[in-house]
Amino acid sequence: MECNVKFGGEAGHGLLTLELELTERLSRIGCRFFATKNYMSRIRGGHNFHMVRIAEGPVHALSGDPWDVVIAFDEESERRHRATLQGKGIFISKDGIQEIEKTARDAFGDVRATHSILVGVILSIIGYPLEKLMSGADTGAFNYWLKGYETADRWSLSGAFPVTPRAKTAYRFDGNQALAFGALLGGCQFMAGYPMTPASSIMNYIAQASLKIPVHFEQAEDEIAAINMALGASYAGVRSMVATSGGGFALMTEGVSLAGMTETPIVIIEAQRPGPSTGLPTRTEQGDLNFVLHAGHGEFPRAVFAPGSIDEAVAVARRSFDLSDRYQAPVFILTDQYFADSIQLIEEAPALEPQRRDYGTFGASYRRYALTHDGVSPLACPGVGAAVVKVDSDEHDEEGTITEDLDLRIRMVDKRLQKLSGLGREVIPPSFFGDNTADVLLVCWGSNKLIMKEAVERLNRRGRKVGGLHFSQVYPLDGDMTAGFDLAGKTVVCIENNATGQFAGLLKRELGVTVSHRILKYNGECFTVREICDRVVAFMEG
Amino acid sequence: MAHAKDIAWCPGCGNFPIRAALEGALKELALPTEKVVLTSGIGQGAKMPHYLDAHFFNGLHGRSVPLAAGIKIVRPDLTVIAVSGDGCMYGEGGNHFVHAIRKNLDITILTTDNQIFALTKGQSSPTTDAGVRNAFDPQGNPHRPLNPLSLAIALGAPFVARCFAREKDHLKETIKEAVRFKGTALIDILQPCVSFNKINTYQWYGERVFKVSSPAADRFEAMKTAELWGDRIAIGIIYRNDGAEVREGADVFRRPVSRESMEQLLQEVHA
Repeated sequence: MECNVKFGGEAGHGLLTLELELTERLSRIGCRFFATKNYMSRIRGGHNFHMVRIAEGPVHALSGDPWDVVIAFDEESERRHRATLQGKGIFISKDGIQEIEKTARDAFGDVRATHSILVGVILSIIGYPLEKLMSGADTGAFNYWLKGYETADRWSLSGAFPVTPRAKTAYRFDGNQALAFGALLGGCQFMAGYPMTPASSIMNYIAQASLKIPVHFEQAEDEIAAINMALGASYAGVRSMVATSGGGFALMTEGVSLAGMTETPIVIIEAQRPGPSTGLPTRTEQGDLNFVLHAGHGEFPRAVFAPGSIDEAVAVARRSFDLSDRYQAPVFILTDQYFADSIQLIEEAPALEPQRRDYGTFGASYRRYALTHDGVSPLACPGVGAAVVKVDSDEHDEEGTITEDLDLRIRMVDKRLQKLSGLGREVIPPSFFGDNTADVLLVCWGSNKLIMKEAVERLNRRGRKVGGLHFSQVYPLDGDMTAGFDLAGKTVVCIENNATGQFAGLLKRELGVTVSHRILKYNGECFTVREICDRVVAFMEG
Repeated sequence: MAHAKDIAWCPGCGNFPIRAALEGALKELALPTEKVVLTSGIGQGAKMPHYLDAHFFNGLHGRSVPLAAGIKIVRPDLTVIAVSGDGCMYGEGGNHFVHAIRKNLDITILTTDNQIFALTKGQSSPTTDAGVRNAFDPQGNPHRPLNPLSLAIALGAPFVARCFAREKDHLKETIKEAVRFKGTALIDILQPCVSFNKINTYQWYGERVFKVSSPAADRFEAMKTAELWGDRIAIGIIYRNDGAEVREGADVFRRPVSRESMEQLLQEVHA
């Protein structure tokens, strides 16, 4: 059973507070859910709505089916969302909210108790036994929830959409938290940044973590400073990262090229939102793939990841720092507003062994850019051993000294590009879902992973023969990655949150894969499971 | 000097005496060589680290200061000196210059200020005087010059100095003071460009500079001295405030994240 809840209102109505309290409580009682939000770029007013899918089985996407519960904090929410209810759905109107606010004031003398009372209402709707809430909660919170249960009883809503908690252990992450957590596991100890939606919460997480963990967050005057600070810190011996969105990343691109030339390890998280330019600051898109693939002047190697689940985000972020250190090349993680702002459960703790940079000790004969068979030179940092560490943005010799020796130039270009072979040999293979004998293969990357996975499962249940392939690494791509999936023999359908099918183009360019059909969405919202199913069926029947 | 034969500066360039003074200062300060890091941007002055024996990160035009900040924050044990020209520090890197002073990390900023873009062959820089004709200003520079000392003092910089490349001992001693100083120290170094600046020559500066005997008592007095330009130009430590709070770096180098702290984070934030 499921209970799909949507609540809407103005910025300032406390919708985020409600979402956080509800999802924290669901997580604590072991109840599976998926939560995401749709909000405007403003501090007060406007229209925002939050969606929480509460379910017995694991859920990691919006179903796209009509809603079971709609809660409207204002008239606009009533107008927009009432019609999205299913036939037997529950509608809590603006008047209903006012009644709960009155209860909050009368019973607790505090209108802010409204959100906690609503948490009680929702827990009652899913039939969670009130007495079980007693354990592990403070009395104050319990009294609020109790009022919610009483309200639900009065309105005859108790147990209307029963959901039994089935998760034994549950850890709650949004996408950005997962990346930040993974970065710390990867040994990241320095981050510099400038606030920009939807990347800011990564900076927030690292800044908060620095109170207890040896990591530093530096707020920079702009994104140019941020990436240069991070490169300085990395040069000085500390694994470093930056995070931003497309517009901020545009400022960072000279630093990306600097990382490529100086072979300074760095991890760059690009949290996409719809562009061009300022675009839709708080909405989602996958429009920056080509930008990140090509950012930075000149030719140098890079790797680009696009994780699609919480555990994958933790693992990919952790791995990125190690990879960036070993290849001394920039490593990118592409995410987006949808993934950043979606709260999901994982039911197994991630591997918690943090990594660290190895500090080689070298003598006075050390050469930062020593030519080697694989293009990777030993990495030293200042003040460790007798090595003098010279790093130059100009073309340089093996010591790191500026040069205009054009024969040496060729050797240095080849050395840098040689690292791409190594990167190509340790790519993360894509994940496959569904029916491997199917003629139709859905392909996606990044945050669409688990939406597509559920769509494939739903289609298979309905007798539609389809498979699904998700890429968490989008560059470099290597033919071996797809060897088991017979892409040439199948009808490939590429699903992307952009208007031009950028990944479809990359598949053609890198692997010679021809995409027959593109399912694209670029209104700033995520896909739902139902939407993908409908569009796949329409294509198959078309 | 092993690299002497490769130096890319013009004969008579003001960067030669600056290099010698910087080398002398580092030697006399007796800092362990392995603990000194130079950062620089792009331009003739920014090639300075290549001609000294120290670690260096010769980065991008305008970005020597954020590189220095990143290094100093994670490695408080290192002595960090950013050295670049006036275009690099005050033009392309102007925003970084402003905010680095606000941070007040313990770094030294040396600007080799020749009032011209020289490597790009003679365009007006942020410190070029108004009306001076340069490559892109055939009718004369329409902008007022930026006074880096006044700007730094206004931003609350705790150590603000000006030197003249030909006054080598004075420069060397001022560099030593700046490096010893706890906090962000700026020295704007008047550096004649023999190829592209035919106005601000050794003689021109030589006729105008005078040494201040001691730093001014307060910022507002210092500002008056900094603003002197034209007939008389003050050199020396114009302003010094040993009481300003210095940003300490972060204790992260060789102090890795532990499994226990990640377990604690998982339980406190995510369980």
